Amino acid sequence: MFVANAMPLRSFVFWAIVVSLHLKASILLAEQADGEANARLKKTAARRVVDGLVVFYDFSSSTGSIVKDRAGVGKPIDLKVEAMSSVRRKAGSLEVIGDTLIGSDGSARRLSTVIRRGGEITIEAWVKPANTRQAGPARIVTLSRNGSNRNVTLGQDGDRYDVRFRTTSRSANGLPSISSPRQSVQPKLIHLVYIRGRKGQAALFLNGDRKVSGQVPGATSNWDDDYKFALANEWGGGRAWRGTYHLVAVYKRDLSPREIEQNFRAGPNANSPAPALAKRDLRSEHFQTKIAPLLAHHCLECHDSTAQQGGLDLSKKRKALAGGDSGVAIVAGNSADSLLWNTVDSDEMPHDRPPLSDREKRALQAWIDDGAAWSIQQIDPAIYAHSGQENQNWLRRLTVPEYIESVKSALGVDITSEARELLPRDLRADGFSNTAYNLNVDLKHVESYARLAEIIVERVDVIAFARTFSKRQRFTDKDMGNLISKMGKRILRGPINEREIIAYRGISTTTAGSGGDYEEAISHILEAMLQSPRFIYRIENQVGDGSLEPVDEYELASRISYIVWGGPPDDELVRAAESGDLFDSQQAAAQVERMLDDSRAIEHSSRFVAEWLNLDRLGSLQPNRQRYPDWNPALAGDMREETLAFFHDVVWRQNRPLADLLNAQVTYATPRLAQHYGLQGQGQVIEADDDLLRYDLTTDPARGGILTQGSLLTVGGDEASMVTRGLLVMHDFLRGVVKDPPPGINTTPIPTKAGLTQRSIAMDRIGNSNCGGCHAKFEPLAFGLEKFDGLGAVHERDEHGNDLRQDGQILVPGTAKPVPYQSIAELMDLLAKNDRVNQSITWKLTQFALGRPLVAIDAAAVEEIHRVAKRNGGTYRSLLKAIVASDLVQMTRTEVEQVD
Amino acid sequence: MKTSRMSRRTVLRGLGATAIGLPLLEEMIVSESRGAIQSAVPERAFNVFFGLGIPAPLQSEGFDGVLEPLKPLREKLLLLRNVDQVRCDESGINAHFDGATGAFTAEPPQGEAKSGGASIDQVVRRTYHPNGLPPGMVPTLVAGTFFRRSRVGRYVHSYNDDGTVAASMQERPREVFERVFGSVNLSRGTDVRRDRLKRSVLDSVIDQYRFYTGKNSPLGSASKSRVTDHLDRIREFEQRAYEMKERPQGAPSLPPVSQLAHGGQADPGGQGIDMRLADLTAEWRLMADLYALAIELDRVRFGSITFLAAGERLRLTGDYEYHGRLIYQFDDAKELNASGDLGCSHEWWHRFRPEKKNTQLRAHAHMKMREIAYFLSRLDESKDANGKSILENSMITVSTESGDGRHNDPQRELSGVFHAISGANGRFKTGQIMDLGREGLDLYNTMLDAMGAKDYLGPVDRERRLVHSIRA
Repeated sequence: MFVANAMPLRSFVFWAIVVSLHLKASILLAEQADGEANARLKKTAARRVVDGLVVFYDFSSSTGSIVKDRAGVGKPIDLKVEAMSSVRRKAGSLEVIGDTLIGSDGSARRLSTVIRRGGEITIEAWVKPANTRQAGPARIVTLSRNGSNRNVTLGQDGDRYDVRFRTTSRSANGLPSISSPRQSVQPKLIHLVYIRGRKGQAALFLNGDRKVSGQVPGATSNWDDDYKFALANEWGGGRAWRGTYHLVAVYKRDLSPREIEQNFRAGPNANSPAPALAKRDLRSEHFQTKIAPLLAHHCLECHDSTAQQGGLDLSKKRKALAGGDSGVAIVAGNSADSLLWNTVDSDEMPHDRPPLSDREKRALQAWIDDGAAWSIQQIDPAIYAHSGQENQNWLRRLTVPEYIESVKSALGVDITSEARELLPRDLRADGFSNTAYNLNVDLKHVESYARLAEIIVERVDVIAFARTFSKRQRFTDKDMGNLISKMGKRILRGPINEREIIAYRGISTTTAGSGGDYEEAISHILEAMLQSPRFIYRIENQVGDGSLEPVDEYELASRISYIVWGGPPDDELVRAAESGDLFDSQQAAAQVERMLDDSRAIEHSSRFVAEWLNLDRLGSLQPNRQRYPDWNPALAGDMREETLAFFHDVVWRQNRPLADLLNAQVTYATPRLAQHYGLQGQGQVIEADDDLLRYDLTTDPARGGILTQGSLLTVGGDEASMVTRGLLVMHDFLRGVVKDPPPGINTTPIPTKAGLTQRSIAMDRIGNSNCGGCHAKFEPLAFGLEKFDGLGAVHERDEHGNDLRQDGQILVPGTAKPVPYQSIAELMDLLAKNDRVNQSITWKLTQFALGRPLVAIDAAAVEEIHRVAKRNGGTYRSLLKAIVASDLVQMTRTEVEQVD
Repeated sequence: MKTSRMSRRTVLRGLGATAIGLPLLEEMIVSESRGAIQSAVPERAFNVFFGLGIPAPLQSEGFDGVLEPLKPLREKLLLLRNVDQVRCDESGINAHFDGATGAFTAEPPQGEAKSGGASIDQVVRRTYHPNGLPPGMVPTLVAGTFFRRSRVGRYVHSYNDDGTVAASMQERPREVFERVFGSVNLSRGTDVRRDRLKRSVLDSVIDQYRFYTGKNSPLGSASKSRVTDHLDRIREFEQRAYEMKERPQGAPSLPPVSQLAHGGQADPGGQGIDMRLADLTAEWRLMADLYALAIELDRVRFGSITFLAAGERLRLTGDYEYHGRLIYQFDDAKELNASGDLGCSHEWWHRFRPEKKNTQLRAHAHMKMREIAYFLSRLDESKDANGKSILENSMITVSTESGDGRHNDPQRELSGVFHAISGANGRFKTGQIMDLGREGLDLYNTMLDAMGAKDYLGPVDRERRLVHSIRA
């Protein structure tokens, strides 16, 4: 217990000298603190906790009316003293001697938003109350609008400290509050800390000791972003507090008892945390963000583990530093003696490629001169494929399928046909058509959304729909507002605020004023909701201090449901979100499991595989009639259905690891496709009314696995190009990076003829010094597919009578030794077992889930997703659960709010 | 499809008994041209792209070779040879889609569907209309006749600052027509009360979008800019839905449904499609007419138009005549003795050799210049208030993807990329062919400088090297 015994000045000076100059300013203040506390203060000169800090006031200025927010994150929330005659300022403290308010100029939106979203907080204050009588409670720290509306307030109520905290289970005034025990307040310097965690656990710490614990249940979704931040009084007055401030801080998370102790030990006069926040491992960051991408783009084409031209492998730290045939390439600290630098500086390297820009050269030289810090073990060019897009955070417009599903879920209307007809197609970018940056909007979209909203509402029994939210069919503000609030929450995938209610209420008012009835009013409100940004887009908060922040419960629910279903959350998921269950990893996993048993999950997985493998391409297949006179255009559709049914079999029917897609000995074919393929045996009827039959391929030497299906084999065109097929395997299954040929190379494909097969042409390319460096990486991947013609039929000889083979070797990106194979089946087994293939599927599904290309800063999280999923069987289910549990879904990277 | 030019009068003649209702903006039907009645000539900037490029050796032949169709316009154009897009020439570049993205931006792409920065037309647009175009105008019109797709950079040539496309591609004449001249498809009648209520719904929607573009928006900069775009489109929608008159007599007629392949059918896995020259030019000219008409009526001031995509793959057939002279009888697949992609005209570029005749490539390139000249001529027919033509007054930039036809230049593929620019109301020299020997970035920044732009292309720390020789 904090006891009011003053510490002798003598002891204090001794402590200050021994401990740290850092706490020098604490000497005079701690004079008034009790012995026990000082004893603990003396132990260490702790550095303050900075992780999660939102605002920080150290009262370091002795003059002026402004109290600076020195957190150094985001737009500062500076405070202004209303009545300077009521305060006395010294460097490191501000004493309130009369009634005043020290408040923000406008709303403290940044603060409210981050707490509202995260649901957790720490309020910390080093203060000295002037007396033990002030009450109300008298406001020490408040984030509020007036005496009865607040987000949170830390105050003094006589001899207790009191905290009011608004949640959906607490009043707008934050009641009931949490109070410290009687006689907690003394006119002494004290360290006050209030914490509230995401699951409702709250506590009050005095001088580092937990004095009271309890639950403040509910969500913080009802926090108001417009409230202002203040010290020493309530907005509107009447709750003045007198005493001395030494430090006030608010964190966006609940600090642990250890961290609270740490801050207590740091004392009341800790320096501004900004320098600490800025302290990072700059050299490590520099390598990862500047040098590794540079090496990946310019050097690894020839100097990775596979090519190792000149014996130099620059993809791995140890090998890069060891050098190549010409000796040491990198002399740390000395660019002048570094072969790498000298060849780059003279433009000798990159060979046959454009030289590095001046800026890149400067960066490379500086890195070497600065010690050539190498912070990762191996550079994977694939993770730098989208460098430059790290800082772009695009909100996601609903894709056409998502729009259809969202309408169906919210209103029970199937708008598939009309939506597909009216809405412009979503175009593919970076391999998927749900890539957020490419989901732009044209006039046609706006027109279609308006028209579709009309059609949808025409199909809804509006009265019955409204009745599910409110029985009172009246235009009164209260009843209509209540209906709008509940209906809006369903349709817009989360609670709607007062501003929105007023906007929709305006429509009902206009309708009523025009003689319209209740049904008409609701119809128009629904039309407006269906066109609102909160329906058309997945709106999330993206503003903060520039760091990763947890998404709020509704954002998380939406993220999960659109990832698993391609549609909005259902009631059960919303319930789990509102109760906080979704923030619990096990309960969240249980929710995902539940959702995966829903047919929507299966449909969405089909969208994934169709996008990943670009199955829509089959719709425009136009093989040359002379070359393929027996081609039936219906086969293209059969091939698409084959791949989708095969995927369904492996993923859903058998729940096998995704890697089995490469070598599962089963396929599905219509009789027409079975004949085209020459499949042996009788197909098994799975669905009575389905044309597709299931074929066991265990005795078929040529087929088995997704790469042996026409949907992928046709990518090689009429000529069954080994280049195109090899690149497909390389890009989509091995996440390899291969660049276009250097200038001056004749890339005209050479036609086959008697004595010249695709393989022998490919071997010539591989043997060519200009081509082989890259072609050796991907063309052998297609050697095993040589027996398949351009339309996926198997032949032992080509049209010129040349024998076709199926042996070859694969060279996995990042490795040096090719692995030989003798048959198609052996190739498929090699691929299925290869972890790089497994990783690639993880990357693809993660990209599809997030709706954006993955960049270097995602790599660690994706690696963790892969590891967790693999440990749990490597199935689609395990992968989706790992994705949902990852920071890529649980967190969002915020942008710093623009300073006016 | 009949090859016929659509004059403004033809378009305005109307359909008589045709039942298609296409209300027009008031300003469109009351004025010959909004620009024509204004004392000042509006600032305009358009990018004109054609696919596959003109090998540098052929550019050196001037108007005696493949550039012959541009000869009638030579006094109004500045032909620029030896313009290098080397900034886009990154390691492992694909000259087609990467090089094409560099046209008008001088930057390599940032992603499959993004450029490396703004295109010059958009920089000018932002300079003169930072808060949006006047009501009723299409902010940016992106259109084209093309078939190869796979990547947006092959055919879209107007980009925002963040590299996203500045507007959706309109690839059918009817789409251009509807985008520029059409009304929106909102079920409206004569019921004033109903319209009022619908307006109330729209007002509410606008308020919601406005919130997310305002200072209290929870969105980051990229997202905010996307929602701002959406809001602009809603305002355009609002204008068309509620501020248009019913179609008066003499309104433009709806173009016929396109008979050519579009969407996925136009690009079957990069294998190319069969195409008759007459069909190709008929659709393109209809597109060019509509685009030119949109400019003439001052509905559009910024944008881009594409005649054939970067790396286009067509197996072209048909007699190609120029001024009654048979230039060539196209039959690519037969001459190449190949099907699929190997039978496409693209292959003539692969086979280009400076020391050879390159007959087929010459014929194809000549044909492309004829069609580009067609569009430019349309702009030259219409006069602004200052007595000069739209072609003379506007900043028109013609460019392409590659300077060597790809694969055969001993140095770089993106060196010597053909450019032609118009005078931009006296800002640039015309009537010359100039060997520039400069980077595209410097050329573009010089153009932007002359247009009074505040922003420039390229890295902020790069020294600005203006090409004064092109200034009038």
